[in-house]
Amino acid sequence: MANAPASTARATATTGAGEARKAAAGDAAARPGEPRRDRRSKRERQGAAWVFLSPWVLGASVLTLLPMAVSLYLSFTDYNLFDPPSWIGLRNYVQMFTEDPRLLRSVGNTLLYVLFAVPLQLALALTVAVALKSMRRGRNFYRSAFYAPSLLGASMSIALVWRAIFNDGGTVDNLLAGVGLDMGGWVNKPGWALLSVALLTVWQFGAPMVIFLAGLQQIPQDLYEAAAVDGAGRWRQFASITLPMLSPVLFFNLVLQTIQAFQVFTPAYAVSGGRGGPADSTLFYTLYLYDRGFTASHMGYASAMAWVLLVAIGIVTAVLFRTSRSWVFYANEEVR
Amino acid sequence: MPAPRTKASCAAAVVLALSATLTGCGGGASASGEGKVTLRFTWWGNADRAARTNKAVEAFERAHPGIDVQTSYSTYESYKQKLATQAAGGDVPDLIQLDYRQISQYAGSDVMLDLEKQRKRLPTGKMDPALLKTGQVGGVQYALPMGVGTQALAYDKVAWREAGLKTPRAGWTWDDWAKSLRQLKRERGSYAMTDPGSMEDWFEIWLRGRGKQLYGKDGQTAFAAKDLAGFWAFTSKLRKEGLVSPASDTTQMAGSVEDSPMGREKAVAEFNWDAPSAGYEAMYKDRLALAPMPSGEDGTPGQYFKPSMLLGIAAGSSHPKQAAEFIDFLLNSDEAADILGVDRGTPVNSRQRQRVLPKVTGFQKQVAGLQTSLRGKLEDPPAAPPRGDNGLQSTFQRDYDHVSFDKATPLQVAEDFLTEARTELRP
Amino acid sequence: MSATTAAGRRRPVNWPRVALHAGALAVLVVLLYPLAWLVATSFKPADEVLASLALLPSRLATENYGTAAEGIEGVTLLQLFGNSLTISLGAVLGNVLSCSLAAYAFARLRFTMRGPLFAFMIATIMLPHHAVLIPQYIVFNQLGMVNTFWPMVLPKFLATDAFFVFLIVQFMRGLPRELDEAAKIDGCGPFGTFVRVVLPLTRPALITTAIFTFIWTWNDFFTQLIYLFEPDKYTLTLALRTFVDTSSQSAYGPMFAMSVFALLPIVLFFLAFQRLLVEGMANSGLKG
Repeated sequence: MANAPASTARATATTGAGEARKAAAGDAAARPGEPRRDRRSKRERQGAAWVFLSPWVLGASVLTLLPMAVSLYLSFTDYNLFDPPSWIGLRNYVQMFTEDPRLLRSVGNTLLYVLFAVPLQLALALTVAVALKSMRRGRNFYRSAFYAPSLLGASMSIALVWRAIFNDGGTVDNLLAGVGLDMGGWVNKPGWALLSVALLTVWQFGAPMVIFLAGLQQIPQDLYEAAAVDGAGRWRQFASITLPMLSPVLFFNLVLQTIQAFQVFTPAYAVSGGRGGPADSTLFYTLYLYDRGFTASHMGYASAMAWVLLVAIGIVTAVLFRTSRSWVFYANEEVR
Repeated sequence: MPAPRTKASCAAAVVLALSATLTGCGGGASASGEGKVTLRFTWWGNADRAARTNKAVEAFERAHPGIDVQTSYSTYESYKQKLATQAAGGDVPDLIQLDYRQISQYAGSDVMLDLEKQRKRLPTGKMDPALLKTGQVGGVQYALPMGVGTQALAYDKVAWREAGLKTPRAGWTWDDWAKSLRQLKRERGSYAMTDPGSMEDWFEIWLRGRGKQLYGKDGQTAFAAKDLAGFWAFTSKLRKEGLVSPASDTTQMAGSVEDSPMGREKAVAEFNWDAPSAGYEAMYKDRLALAPMPSGEDGTPGQYFKPSMLLGIAAGSSHPKQAAEFIDFLLNSDEAADILGVDRGTPVNSRQRQRVLPKVTGFQKQVAGLQTSLRGKLEDPPAAPPRGDNGLQSTFQRDYDHVSFDKATPLQVAEDFLTEARTELRP
Repeated sequence: MSATTAAGRRRPVNWPRVALHAGALAVLVVLLYPLAWLVATSFKPADEVLASLALLPSRLATENYGTAAEGIEGVTLLQLFGNSLTISLGAVLGNVLSCSLAAYAFARLRFTMRGPLFAFMIATIMLPHHAVLIPQYIVFNQLGMVNTFWPMVLPKFLATDAFFVFLIVQFMRGLPRELDEAAKIDGCGPFGTFVRVVLPLTRPALITTAIFTFIWTWNDFFTQLIYLFEPDKYTLTLALRTFVDTSSQSAYGPMFAMSVFALLPIVLFFLAFQRLLVEGMANSGLKG
């Protein structure tokens, strides 16, 4: 890798030292132009930005925007995959909210899943990442071992393993029976199956963990050294250095895991054999969407479902972005 | 550094060029150079079927040097999704294998070629007319059955003998069946088979045994809520007696033979299609036996000969002639019959059937025996299920969970099912 | 480099540290149990694969591996590996290149429409991919790319994985603004700054992108299923599924064995790259 120019390194050192920083109000949106920047350079930056963006622009327009536009159009049609779509206006949307009890159930399941899986997975990932950071021996080993469950994805074999472990007579059942809680399995009970699917997601906490680790890696070490000199203990260091410095990454994990949790599909599809059973208890929104679109061939309806989900996730994400202004700290925003 | 503006306009030009290609070019033809014709053939199945199919394809290519057959296969669940995407994307392979439940969907939407157009290349004289009809939609022949199968009870001979039960014979009734389960339960102390209430397939047989049908000629459901409620009340009674699997086991049925209570050695019998029941063999070896399905109380048989799978040509195929030749080879030639055997079900062509059946061994012999014993005794197969049936089949299974977990009464759920069926089957 | 300097001074038995290790090991036992189950199942004879609820097989059945090692009908195991590798490595290259380019623009350059475009990029992750499956198929079909590896690889070169763009954006925004100013003083334009300053400092994020892209592409069943037609283009993940067919006989034992085979390359890839994850900061010259 190329060495950073000398003045760059100096710049980092000065930033690192400034420790009592308040989290700046940061937002993804562009802020109005900066002072002391001449117009030529501004135009050059504009042009440069588009060069950097060109692959994305191409991909986003042809492979993303175009298909998205098509699916938006399909959401206003009756489309069975085989015949040309026919325009029916808002009927799909009306039907969703008025005459589809199974859809409402899937919304409930999904919310329950999001509220359970996201906080638990993130807490676990953060705890393990921070613990790993403070370990001196065997860090490589632990990191690999903790990531191991995430290597598999929700394949059919892991689904079978999950069913074996959480079934009647399976390991979990036997352990619980050992302490007097004989429940006869989880995956096969309407009240508990959702928990077993959520645990599969939590179990695969490797992705957010690695992202946290990468984020921790980016925190300049001298911040801790300075704090230690000032007599700050472990908790103080964690609260006043680690958390704020990690906040962009924490925010990323929170947003992405939430978005992904709303779209949960594979674990439930695999564990329940595609049906979202028992008794619709793991029928998540996208699972039902898939069922409507591909099994029942109502692609128009499925597209409408997809766009409603997009709006719902959009609102949640927007709220998260709004709150991020008060707790996410970006080093590249100026202190105000 | 080069002037950024130039680069930006470069990128814009690329975008334009690409969108031009996108809108400009039409679907590519599959003819390759040197006058060689390429046919794409897609089907579902397992490794054994893949080996046999590839061998048959090679034999066909030897006999037709100008034709190259490209095959693709996946398992049934994957296949359905893949083919639907291909159809929606206007990219249907030349030759497609279809299930009885898919044919209305594909044929009804001009995805399939009317085989009348290739009649000369596709002689069907040796095929059973009643069975040929299963490949028709609206009187037009869109596909030909590749093999015949029927529903059966697969069971563990030894367990039945130990319970003091006789071999079930054609004509035994649902009542006899229930009595046998009771006997087995007394002997074993646990349930004998999977609750059949969750499968539309078994409900259909129960219904036919009472002289009714799942779907009428108009493509609508032809039974009343009380019929379905009656079936579910019947299975629920058995479930509560502990004769069939409890809800928590039934709900886990993922479809494969091995992953069922009998496949997992928790039960000793299972309703299934005849040929796939071979999957129990790994567990039960020569203890495995096949019996006819129970019939109605007056002896009316509910089961029927069903096309195990159908083969048709895509309407958009550039080489319908060659595709027809391929179908003819697979279904009518001795060479293909010898290679394929009964892998896709008993051959439909009567000459091939006589050629193949004497040679079968092991479990396939039992399948052949069952079919022979039933030939001539069963009613004609129903017309291909209407296009909404695919979704309804999964709804059926979902709905039954609500019955078996006691979330609602059979009648309530049956009425819900019919309400949904009316929406799904909207013409 | 040590995380806590205070811990190093107390010599004798460091009880908190011992407790930390004991806790970590206990958690690991729970976490790795399902994996052990998976591996153990691959050694179970046919009549135990699904039926047995015991962890260990009654005898070590290696025949599952024998079957899996033969690959699938007409395709050798080696070829399946090769196909999976080609697709996954192509995707890694594409994602690392294109996502870092786009992320740099979003994180550190100013241009009109940055806010709305960024919002749009995030929005693209919010639509369930099943809804765009068919339109995308049509696009690739029109481009003549069905039954090639392109539908799996090309999108990665065009930064369509907004997840990674956003990830790298977050990391780049974590770098102090003064870096750019300093680079400018040193005579770097946006490209020089990107290549010489920002990229090296974002290495942890790039490594993370590489790791996830590899694993997720490797395991991505649906895309491969839809776009690959001929078996000799099939990947390990596709081959895995051909073992279980609900309409005929299945081979669960070999499927588990194949799962273990399929796991090996991702394990190796992860082991190789996670080391770089640690070294990310140390080598970047920031501490000097």
